[in-house]
Amino acid sequence: MPIVRLGSEGCWTNYHGTGTCEAATRFALRSGDAERGRDEIAIAAGSVQDWLGDAAAAQRRVRPLGAGWSPSNINVASQCWLLHTRRFNRCFGIDAADVRPGVDASGLMLVEAGALVDEVSDKLEQQGRSLWTSGAGNGQTFAGAAATGTHGSMIASGGIQDHVRALQIVTPAGVHWVEPAAGVMNDAFIAGTGSTLLRDDDVFAAAQLPVGALGIVTALVVDSVPKFLVRPIQNLRKVNRAALGWLATGDFRRFSAAYALDRDPDFVQMIVNPYKPFKRPAMLRFLYREPWRDDYPRATPGQLGAGYDALSLLGRLLDDYPWARGALLQFAMKLGYASGPDVDAPAVYGSWGEGLDTHRPLADLFNASVTIDRADLARVFELICGVYARHGGSTVVTLRFMSRAQGLLAPARFPHNAVIDFDGPRSERTAAAYARVVERLDAEGIAFTRHWAKSCNLDGARVATDYGEDFRRWRAARDRLLPDPAHRALFGSEVLDGLGLTC
Amino acid sequence: MMWVGWALAALLFLVLFGQYLAGQADIFVSIANPRPLDEESMVVVLKGWGFAAHAAQPFVTPESDHGLCDVRVFATRRQTLVSLASFGFLRPVTVAWRAHAGVFPLGDA
Ligand SMILES: Cc1cc2nc3c(=O)[nH]c(=O)nc-3n(C[C@H](O)[C@H](O)[C@H](O)COP(=O)(O)OP(=O)(O)OC[C@H]3O[C@@H](n4cnc5c(N)ncnc54)[C@H](O)[C@@H]3O)c2cc1C
Repeated sequence: MPIVRLGSEGCWTNYHGTGTCEAATRFALRSGDAERGRDEIAIAAGSVQDWLGDAAAAQRRVRPLGAGWSPSNINVASQCWLLHTRRFNRCFGIDAADVRPGVDASGLMLVEAGALVDEVSDKLEQQGRSLWTSGAGNGQTFAGAAATGTHGSMIASGGIQDHVRALQIVTPAGVHWVEPAAGVMNDAFIAGTGSTLLRDDDVFAAAQLPVGALGIVTALVVDSVPKFLVRPIQNLRKVNRAALGWLATGDFRRFSAAYALDRDPDFVQMIVNPYKPFKRPAMLRFLYREPWRDDYPRATPGQLGAGYDALSLLGRLLDDYPWARGALLQFAMKLGYASGPDVDAPAVYGSWGEGLDTHRPLADLFNASVTIDRADLARVFELICGVYARHGGSTVVTLRFMSRAQGLLAPARFPHNAVIDFDGPRSERTAAAYARVVERLDAEGIAFTRHWAKSCNLDGARVATDYGEDFRRWRAARDRLLPDPAHRALFGSEVLDGLGLTC
Repeated sequence: MMWVGWALAALLFLVLFGQYLAGQADIFVSIANPRPLDEESMVVVLKGWGFAAHAAQPFVTPESDHGLCDVRVFATRRQTLVSLASFGFLRPVTVAWRAHAGVFPLGDA
């Protein structure tokens, strides 16, 4: 039996400690030892469907859990049945005989929903392949990361959900294999997974970013690119105000030439101190993609510049000494970051996966963000920093870039996006300062969206306006997957109901 | 002579304050490529300056058949204060760990 009950009814708290499921009954979905992946997920999906039936009979709502990393509490529901998925984590290579004619199987992998992004990355690299983007950390589950549109700062890429080519989703009424109308896997393979085929572009685009509201995702077909190397450059530099204009117009080459290498960068990230962002040095990170070669000198994730967690350690000090915030933040930036390889240091290289780290819980974090049209960047960035600092925001402000991402509910919905993150130690003052930023953007009439996973205080009315026609299509797709309102309610929670996703 | 006393008192205070801050530091040990499950924790009280140790609950971790990914040892502010106030006789610390989810070889779909 792939599902086991864990202990007796009790509380479960998410990773950031932002929410607790009271009176939760915990279950774990575990991988089995079936020889073929399709048999394994057929068995698991059957068990999940039975489990959903049992939950409905017990009049309990359900909540699937990945790594529990989302601080927006979309992973929290009380008096419910929780399904932990991290031990459902096998990965399987896909053969050319399993896909439809014309589909290239060489980059595809079948992934059980609970496999961590790190695990998927490792397994792809073993086969000479790689993810083309992911978040700053890689300790999320693949299904959980895709569920919220997790992204990094690869300029020409969208979100992690863009890797998903097909999914298996379990609802109380059935086990569905969802893929785009053009199809990916062949009918014999899909039959082997015990699923009913649903080939539809809208349902697929909804399921690529389901926010945990469309059923339980048990498996995903993940696409990849040939493995590549990245060369990181990381430094602390005072950034000229004019450089924001280059970034806004997509002239990343000029930005890179001014602060790192005179080459087209693939990844650009800028972390500023919102207290005087152009007077104090910013932490810059660039990645330059290069063809794979086996004999590159190996470096540790630290040498490759992974993580900037030292920032969270100053949390209490920042809250306790508001007058020293600017200086303390700058001190933390220096402590946490200056060690990366600068332009004149010997070059270090790593694969995509080697440059990322699974996060270690050092302190309570606050995560929030706004995604804007990159063209608005020069106009609003300073304004955002000013409002945030004036109201006591105690985190650094990070600027990342990405292209339009797939999925009807992808927050990165502008052709070119600038994502402004507020990541650091958690405090009420910081949350209030972020709320002022949102108010100010609204007052200025600037279009923006917010991250599903972060503490962004979204509500149903706002989701409907932000996503417009795409939200209507997402709900129509949801109603095809879950036509019975009772089944939709089974996946409800205070937060998801409030966002208008489950009711 | 008076100032020597004050200087000594100030020094002792700084020594104690340093212990108070350092006592709350995290000691974190992790394996190289972790695949962690949820964090579990328990409080262990060292008694009599370390002659005896007592855990508030037995070391039970529901999903540890693949071993542990990482272990953290730290004291909260309150635990550090208890330790200082009892002259170190009681030394409560929190031990937190995350079990490993397991790694399987790549299979065939
Ligand atoms: C340290 C840290 C760094 C981060 N860095 C970034 C970053 O760089 N970029 C970024 O965009 N985000 C980032 N995030 C946010 C993070 O990527 C998201 O919160 C992500 O959704 C977490 O994945 P998870 O596996 O923990 O999912 P959870 O938080 O457990 O779940 C997220 C949602 O998905 C649902 N879900 C999970 N598994 C399933 C399943 N199998 N079937 C159906 N629904 C499911 C849950 O019910 C919930 O609604 C970061 C978070 C942390 C803590």
